[in-house]
Amino acid sequence: MNSRKPLLLVLAFVLVIGSLPLAAQDDQINMTMWVRSIPFQTQAMVDEWNANNDSQIELTVIPSAEFVTKMGAAIAAGEPPDIASIDLIYTPAFSAAGQLVDITEFVRELPYADSLTPAHMELGMYEGRNYAVPTGVDGSFIVYNIDLFEQAGLDPDNPPSTWDEMLDAMRAINALGDEIYRYWFSMNCAGCNAFTFLPFIWASGGDVLSDDYAEATITSDPIVRDALAFYNTIWEEGLVPEGASIDNGANFVNAFAAGNIGMAGMGNFAIPLFTNDHPDLNFGVFHIPGKEGGAASFGGGDVIAIASGSEHVEEAWRFIEWTMSDEAQIEIYAANGQIPVRLELVDNPYFEGDDRQMTAASALAVGFTPYTVVYNDLFNDPNGPWLEMLQIAILDGDIDGALELGQERFTQIMEG
Amino acid sequence: MSATALDAQAKRSQQEIRRLRRRALLTLRYVVLVIVAILFLFPIFWSFINSIKLPAEAVAVPPTYLPTEISFENYEELTTYGKIGIAQHVYNSTVVALITVAGSIVLSTLGGYGFARFNFPGKNVLFIMVLSTLMIPFQSILIPLFVMIVQVDLHDTLFGLALVYITFQLPFGIFLMRNSFLAVPHEIEESALLDGCSSLSILYRLMLRLVLPGIVTVAIYAFINSWNEFLAALIFMSDQDKFTLPVFLTTIRYGIWGDVNWGALQAGVIVSIIPSLAIFLALQRYYMDGLMGGAVKN
Amino acid sequence: MIGSIALLNLSWQQRRKLTGLLFVTPTVAFVTVFFIIPLLMTAYMSLHDWPLFGERAFTGLENYQELSKDRQYLKSLDFTFRYTALVTPPIFILGFILASLVRHNIRYIGIFRTIFFLPVVIGLGVSSLLWVWMVDDRIGIFNKILLDLNLVPKAQLFLGRPNTAMNVIILSVVWKTVGFTMILLLAGLQAIPDELYESAEVDGAGYFRKLFYITLPLMRRTIALALVLSVIGSVLSFDQFYIMTRGGPRNSTISIVFWIFNNSFTYFKMGYGAAMSIVLLGILVALTGLQLYVLREKE
Repeated sequence: MNSRKPLLLVLAFVLVIGSLPLAAQDDQINMTMWVRSIPFQTQAMVDEWNANNDSQIELTVIPSAEFVTKMGAAIAAGEPPDIASIDLIYTPAFSAAGQLVDITEFVRELPYADSLTPAHMELGMYEGRNYAVPTGVDGSFIVYNIDLFEQAGLDPDNPPSTWDEMLDAMRAINALGDEIYRYWFSMNCAGCNAFTFLPFIWASGGDVLSDDYAEATITSDPIVRDALAFYNTIWEEGLVPEGASIDNGANFVNAFAAGNIGMAGMGNFAIPLFTNDHPDLNFGVFHIPGKEGGAASFGGGDVIAIASGSEHVEEAWRFIEWTMSDEAQIEIYAANGQIPVRLELVDNPYFEGDDRQMTAASALAVGFTPYTVVYNDLFNDPNGPWLEMLQIAILDGDIDGALELGQERFTQIMEG
Repeated sequence: MSATALDAQAKRSQQEIRRLRRRALLTLRYVVLVIVAILFLFPIFWSFINSIKLPAEAVAVPPTYLPTEISFENYEELTTYGKIGIAQHVYNSTVVALITVAGSIVLSTLGGYGFARFNFPGKNVLFIMVLSTLMIPFQSILIPLFVMIVQVDLHDTLFGLALVYITFQLPFGIFLMRNSFLAVPHEIEESALLDGCSSLSILYRLMLRLVLPGIVTVAIYAFINSWNEFLAALIFMSDQDKFTLPVFLTTIRYGIWGDVNWGALQAGVIVSIIPSLAIFLALQRYYMDGLMGGAVKN
Repeated sequence: MIGSIALLNLSWQQRRKLTGLLFVTPTVAFVTVFFIIPLLMTAYMSLHDWPLFGERAFTGLENYQELSKDRQYLKSLDFTFRYTALVTPPIFILGFILASLVRHNIRYIGIFRTIFFLPVVIGLGVSSLLWVWMVDDRIGIFNKILLDLNLVPKAQLFLGRPNTAMNVIILSVVWKTVGFTMILLLAGLQAIPDELYESAEVDGAGYFRKLFYITLPLMRRTIALALVLSVIGSVLSFDQFYIMTRGGPRNSTISIVFWIFNNSFTYFKMGYGAAMSIVLLGILVALTGLQLYVLREKE
């Protein structure tokens, strides 16, 4: 009868619900950990740790494109995860802002500190102090489909070593038919192309940034233009599927796994995916070549760090140290096809006799990683100048316009 | 005689023609209405159809028109999606929406009553201040809102997000409730005043029932707007456990490991459409009243 | 006795004032904390180098000077206005046609009004997810139908080119919002007395004469309101671009709010984002001023 009573009850209920405490407290150490959505064996590591330790880690996977935004917001809110597996190129930005715990003393104690992958260690340093150690090693290279190479009359044992040879190989595969494609790039994915396209420039002796990372060299370095023209040719001649132009990275791995793509830029993380999920895929690996030869690779992957403000620094380090142990590196990483973060462990029983793993691992020797605090804004941001420049040059063919725009926006961002 | 008969006949046939013409026009109108209605309903219908396909069929290239088999597996997958599952996000959206509804009702009713029935110094200035919120949408003050919410430790809480939503429901709510109270005749209240009732008990015992339609309207708008809001939810929530439905759905769109689960996405779209659709259909009259009252009369 | 009643009366007056003030206090407090203060803070922050975390510093008008050199910002301004100019006419014209279609209370008309209005209560975020899927080149229904009817030789990448991406977004937004405009215009239409049309018909006026001499002039205020609301909504749009195109292709669909979001929460330049917000505020105040001017004019 009285219409107000239920209303008031609802109000009361809602206010009570809204103010309930969020989680019960107990004595056990519970840590949170974030990782971007890249298929390293992070989940396996955490599961193994949780099964054998009192302290527990809750792992959250953040979409790669949103990692920096989410991490920044969490730090600003004073609620960062205890442990973060961060794309190594972002580390300078976070350590420069004082958001990571200085772990120099811990690192000094490690007997194998010198054999940790150098690119990751360097990116984890800021003003001479260590803030992060490697946790996922991911160099870039090119995978090629051996069956398609053979069908096209190419020698799979002698993969291309210059841009012209790559183009010739693509054109040969092109002749195989409509459903066969020669190459794949995810041209709506900024990070994918930093990873697989920048090395074409580096291998030819060029770069988009000056050696001291102080200025952009997009218009002054002729190699940049040549590399864009090379990819533009691939696009114009229809050597990649049209859908590649809008792929935001969702098909970066899947496209090649389908078996009708001749070659594609790829990273170490994909090899276990191919060998486990697509055992029929007969593929090989070669280094990303320069214009007239040479080789380069993007030394990518993740480092692991403890966020400032964590209440469990000691325990977090105990976990991190364990992830680098022989046991974890060989029985979890290598056993699942992932490259160990300690160079001396690349020679392990699981990799023995696998040329692809050995070639992929050797890419690390020619690996290079830019060190800049604005890396995300320049390269990885989906709205950053890098992707815009590539799309305008490669898909629209306006290379001059793209170079000019890239130089201008790079410069603006680098000047802050 | 025969001339008039002819005339009458001509008039009759003319009427007949006019009647037929009107009928043809009416039929045409219905034909157009039905076609347009189909076009409008199609996206929702198509989403529903795909949500009940088998997961493998929902991602088939090219797509099939009709499901080969009806299945609720996509919905089942949602219950465990991203480890958290959709139930948590439905809960988040519901809590935020209910707090917003509760807060909007209380504040708009009190404020509307105050502005409608009382005279006090500064009344007009305060009323204009409240209404001016209408002109300046929250998109332009998001940055300081974020800074403030973080400073008072309400970041990543459903309550903090609801507070922001309440604020931006207020001008509309106050405006509407003030009009509702103004429409109530003064006499009703005066007799109660003479009986010595306090203002709060008059509001509670007497007025509330009379302005109930206004309250329902405020509640519907508060619910639908907070249920659907995306940008503020995206910024104020960084903990995945706290994502509201629309933000959760975009994480499916970008895929956890790159693969997009389109079937689950469509199931999620349907799940998130149902509450606001049901509320709208059930209480359509109040919704339209609010739209007309809030927009056309001012 | 009489004296005490007078005293009671006096204090009753003052108590009324106090009570009224108390009733509006929660609302005023809310608006002050969540609206007035943030508004002032936006202006204050825009004068600072204010990173999301770390040290902040006063920089005066530097952020504003930077704006004029920010190529993407200028592009976003241009895009937002172009988008608004392109999306407003179809919303309005279709809204008007729909309002005319459902104007008379013929049988079942309520059902049609409801159907046309339904998409309005669906969130823009969710509707964007719906459309991005429908126009997908591989699993989208649009391409499936076009291919089956042999209207296109191969699947179209609708979101892959700036022009088609813009068209798809406009189509989705029209679907989502036209019902709102329809209802506004319907109210205006129904407020016009039927007698006016009847006497015009007696004078032999055709459809267009009635439209231009009766309908449109009498609906001037409603039309202005519908237009302004739709223009403001378009200027503030974010969801559809963030979800459907993520600002692409070639950064061609980055709206102002999108660019504010990026600068503040992805590049962590909150002071710079605040400066853009102030400019956006100026635009909105101008639009609202225009609205008030048009609506007040003949009163």
